[in-house]
Amino acid sequence: MKTGNGLALTVRTFTAIVLVFLIAPIVVVFPLSLSSGELLTLPTPGYSLRWYDDFFTSSKWLLATRNSFIVGIATAILATFLGTLGALGIFLGRFRGKTFLVAMLATPMVVPVVVTAIALYFAFSFVGLNNTLTGLVLAHTVLSVPYVLITVLATLQTFDRNLLKAAATLGAPPPAAFRRVLLPLIAPGVATGALFAFATSFDELVVAIFIAGPQQFTLPRQMYAGLREFLSPTIASAAVLLIICSLLLLTANEYFRTRGKTRTLPDDPAEPN
Amino acid sequence: MAISRNNLLAAALIAPLFAVVVASFIVPLAVTLWTAIGNPEVRETLPRTTAALRGWNGEGLPSEAAFAAVAAELAQAHEAQAIGQLSRRLNFEEAGLRALLLKTARAKDRLSAPYRDALVALDPRWGETSLWQILARNTAALTPLYLLRSLDLSLTPDGKIVAAPADEAIFLALFARTFVISFWVTILCVLIGYPVAYTLSTLSTRWANIGMALVLVPFWTSILVRTTAWFILLQREGPVNALLLGLGVVDAPITMIFTRFAVYIAMVHVLLPFVVLPLYSVMKGINPAYLRAAASLGAPPWKRFIRVYLPLTMPGVAAGGLMVFMLAVGFYITPVLVGGPEDQMVSYFIAFFTNQTINWGMAAALACLLLAMTAILVVVARLIVPGFRLGGVSA
Amino acid sequence: MHDPIVTFERVTKSYDGRTLVVEALDLTLARGEFLTLLGPSGSGKTTTLMMLAGFEDPTSGTITLDGKRLNHVPAHRRGIGMVFQNYALFPHMTVAENLVFPLEMHGVPKAEIEPKVKRALDMVRLPQLRDRKPGQLSGGQQQRVAVARALVYGPKLVLMDEPLGALDKQLREELQLEIKHLHDELGVTIVYVTHDQSEALTMSDRIAVFHQGRVQQLATPADLYERPANAFVASFIGENNRFDGTLVGRDGANCRVRLPDGSEIAATIEADLAPGAAVAVSIRPERVAVGAQAQRDNRFVGDLREVIYLGDHCKLRLAVAGNESFVVKVAAGDAATTLDRGSALAVAWDAAACRALPPLA
Ligand SMILES: Nc1ncnc2c1ncn2[C@@H]1O[C@H](COP(=O)(O)OP(=O)(O)O)[C@@H](O)[C@H]1O
Ligand SMILES: [Mg+2]
Repeated sequence: MKTGNGLALTVRTFTAIVLVFLIAPIVVVFPLSLSSGELLTLPTPGYSLRWYDDFFTSSKWLLATRNSFIVGIATAILATFLGTLGALGIFLGRFRGKTFLVAMLATPMVVPVVVTAIALYFAFSFVGLNNTLTGLVLAHTVLSVPYVLITVLATLQTFDRNLLKAAATLGAPPPAAFRRVLLPLIAPGVATGALFAFATSFDELVVAIFIAGPQQFTLPRQMYAGLREFLSPTIASAAVLLIICSLLLLTANEYFRTRGKTRTLPDDPAEPN
Repeated sequence: MAISRNNLLAAALIAPLFAVVVASFIVPLAVTLWTAIGNPEVRETLPRTTAALRGWNGEGLPSEAAFAAVAAELAQAHEAQAIGQLSRRLNFEEAGLRALLLKTARAKDRLSAPYRDALVALDPRWGETSLWQILARNTAALTPLYLLRSLDLSLTPDGKIVAAPADEAIFLALFARTFVISFWVTILCVLIGYPVAYTLSTLSTRWANIGMALVLVPFWTSILVRTTAWFILLQREGPVNALLLGLGVVDAPITMIFTRFAVYIAMVHVLLPFVVLPLYSVMKGINPAYLRAAASLGAPPWKRFIRVYLPLTMPGVAAGGLMVFMLAVGFYITPVLVGGPEDQMVSYFIAFFTNQTINWGMAAALACLLLAMTAILVVVARLIVPGFRLGGVSA
Repeated sequence: MHDPIVTFERVTKSYDGRTLVVEALDLTLARGEFLTLLGPSGSGKTTTLMMLAGFEDPTSGTITLDGKRLNHVPAHRRGIGMVFQNYALFPHMTVAENLVFPLEMHGVPKAEIEPKVKRALDMVRLPQLRDRKPGQLSGGQQQRVAVARALVYGPKLVLMDEPLGALDKQLREELQLEIKHLHDELGVTIVYVTHDQSEALTMSDRIAVFHQGRVQQLATPADLYERPANAFVASFIGENNRFDGTLVGRDGANCRVRLPDGSEIAATIEADLAPGAAVAVSIRPERVAVGAQAQRDNRFVGDLREVIYLGDHCKLRLAVAGNESFVVKVAAGDAATTLDRGSALAVAWDAAACRALPPLA
């Protein structure tokens, strides 16, 4: 759409400002975390790694880091396993009401997290899962499994069912067809789902506020506790570490996404050569 | 027709996921609903009183048996340390009842038959019909009280629904505030996100990738980290004030943290990617031939925009806007960290009732209403956005 | 038939329990033959193929392969090869890996795999593309690979479901001949599905014409064209002029049919029909002569509506005895092609060239 040049320039400038607005708060945390001073002010009085040192020598932060990784990895494994199997079942089954089933399984995505959090808190209080890592893993699994389900289902939608038929006519029993044909082709989708599940758990705070005790504090939960006590630059260094993790996850996700794309199905044949 | 082998396999594959979602999501939601309407305190702590009140017609005073039972059971509850929950529950019905119950429980040794006279002598309120009506009403297994309170309504002792007293009627205003904040955040996100998505969709691959990275990095960064960043930035001595002072825009630091302004800034920052991303993909999918066709048919640029481009991008606007609204309505962390007391949303009160006043009934009732609000939004979304699915637009 | 490889006995199929997609199918397939299932879209050809391949269970009836009942034998144990319309090559494997896959699945010893792959690629003339991924091949190349993959492990029976449907006309014709030659060389039995009658005529030993879930006629290409069993087959295969009328007289294979406008046509008849029955008279456009022809059995005067020039021949469209688009094929230089629209033109044909058929089986 070509509009007047003046308008186009205005829109582009506006976009640039918005993009700066989006990224600036994240960038600003980096120098703050490297400050040598006690206060979170800019410009910093000088640079040092003392707040990272503080982070890596504090038993609370180390416990939180450990908990975050344990819960994140366990959640990713559990959610990927459940979500992928479920997606395959929905893909392979011939029954009515698939849309309804998917919508039901995906509801945790749209229910406000606070509601899920108190629901789990109430329910877990009956079975003793509050203040346990198991409870936290279960809660994070419920929050993240819809993402796995939906990503894998989306990947399966681009999967040509005739490939499974072809494998069978070539003599492959269902397990071999699954392992050698279906799995390699949906692997990028599964990987994306696993990353999403890990990221969801790693960043999750609200449920942790309700069901985690101090021994189960995750990084966001510890950060939140710190914010409410007093504002030390250690929080900025924790934030930087979380941002770096998010960047790694984003990069991995983009890698799997583009890898998934280049493996297109041959329904759009290349030019003859 | 027999279940095919195919469907048996499918059922086996879906079963574990289904079981986990039911056990750790559907059942907890049912527990929450139950907590919002369940009424166990009087029945469980005062079972004999409950039985004695069963025959009472609600007029005058109940039988001597009821007085005797209540005196004995309150004393027992006191010893068993169950009196706290009961008195808190009944105090929620009518302020002051907690003190009355505790006083009666502690007076055990001074009370003797006939209990009716003894109790009335201890406190004349035991001789009032309304107190007994409240007790009798709460021997029922279910109570509408929490849901009514969440809607600023209350029950009189004889069971009529009336407006709640002004100092407790805060919830409609709370829902309205939640709605207003979410509404403006949505409008801001759409108004800001539309031109941004448009520009990104027109850039060359190289620049579009850079631009998309600037949207995706915040999108993948935890909400807490981003809110923390604003929390730090907007402090009185924080970097934003330092910048404004340094530029000479202001003479003294301005208060930004703990204001509605901070809530809007941080929420828009957190939610903006949720409109930019779907809009971008919708805009990328628009065939430029439509606009060329419109131009060849004589439409000037602004008409091409209004008549062709805008309608084609509306599904993206609706999907992104609804997503933002649904997420905003449930926001908790951001208002807590950067907002003031007047900027808290429904979620805050759910947490407040759960963790601070331990009034699970109110927490559950507010949660149920918030859930209902979200459900209505999902239904609206399905009606007005073709192909709207949970979790975004379908391809 | 002396050496049947596949039989269908009273096979029916319904997906929803109400409508029959395949109805009382009886079919015997001879070893080594090239049988085509031909019919319009939705007539049940794919369903028939899917039941044979093992992807759908018949609602009733029996299918046998080499004398053994196939009911409940899973697809991967039937040893039936298949070529799909969209090729169904595994996109994450190279061409060679696609060919190795069935050999591994059938437990072919390692040492024999490579020679077999090489021979199969030579067979479809693509040895240079062995390390390409399917996405890097053209449609025709992909379909050649798919054919090679279906044949490489030596199945006795290969099914092909509209394998050339996605290719352009020229490539399609080229591959039709290639597949036919492969069939002749390897002696494999092929069941081929298409809705393109010229493809069926080109390739097949026998053709089964499907319509509404039933086989209307099973015959050689020449028989189908010359002696269609009913009006559907006559109109589906080749061009055809049709007159609906009533059988008024019959003497063995000769009969007379009265048309609604009162005129009568002399025709041949095979079907077991008595006078009074409704019939459709079928006459091929190339069997009609133009001009006064006293010796022909049927003579009409038509009203010329259109002359269509087609290079090697011309088509004349006329109104004849109530049929508003009666088509006649004439040589390009014929005098009739110079006539003006609206001219009266005499047409004539023999009873032997014209058949009275049941309107539909
Ligand atoms: N899996 C299926 N479920 C329900 N109906 C089907 C299915 N496959 C085919 N059909 C129906 O069966 C009929 C025959 O289809 P098909 O065998 O594919 O015909 P053809 O291959 O001759 O075009 C069609 O009406 C089609 O809609
Ligand atoms: Mg078909």
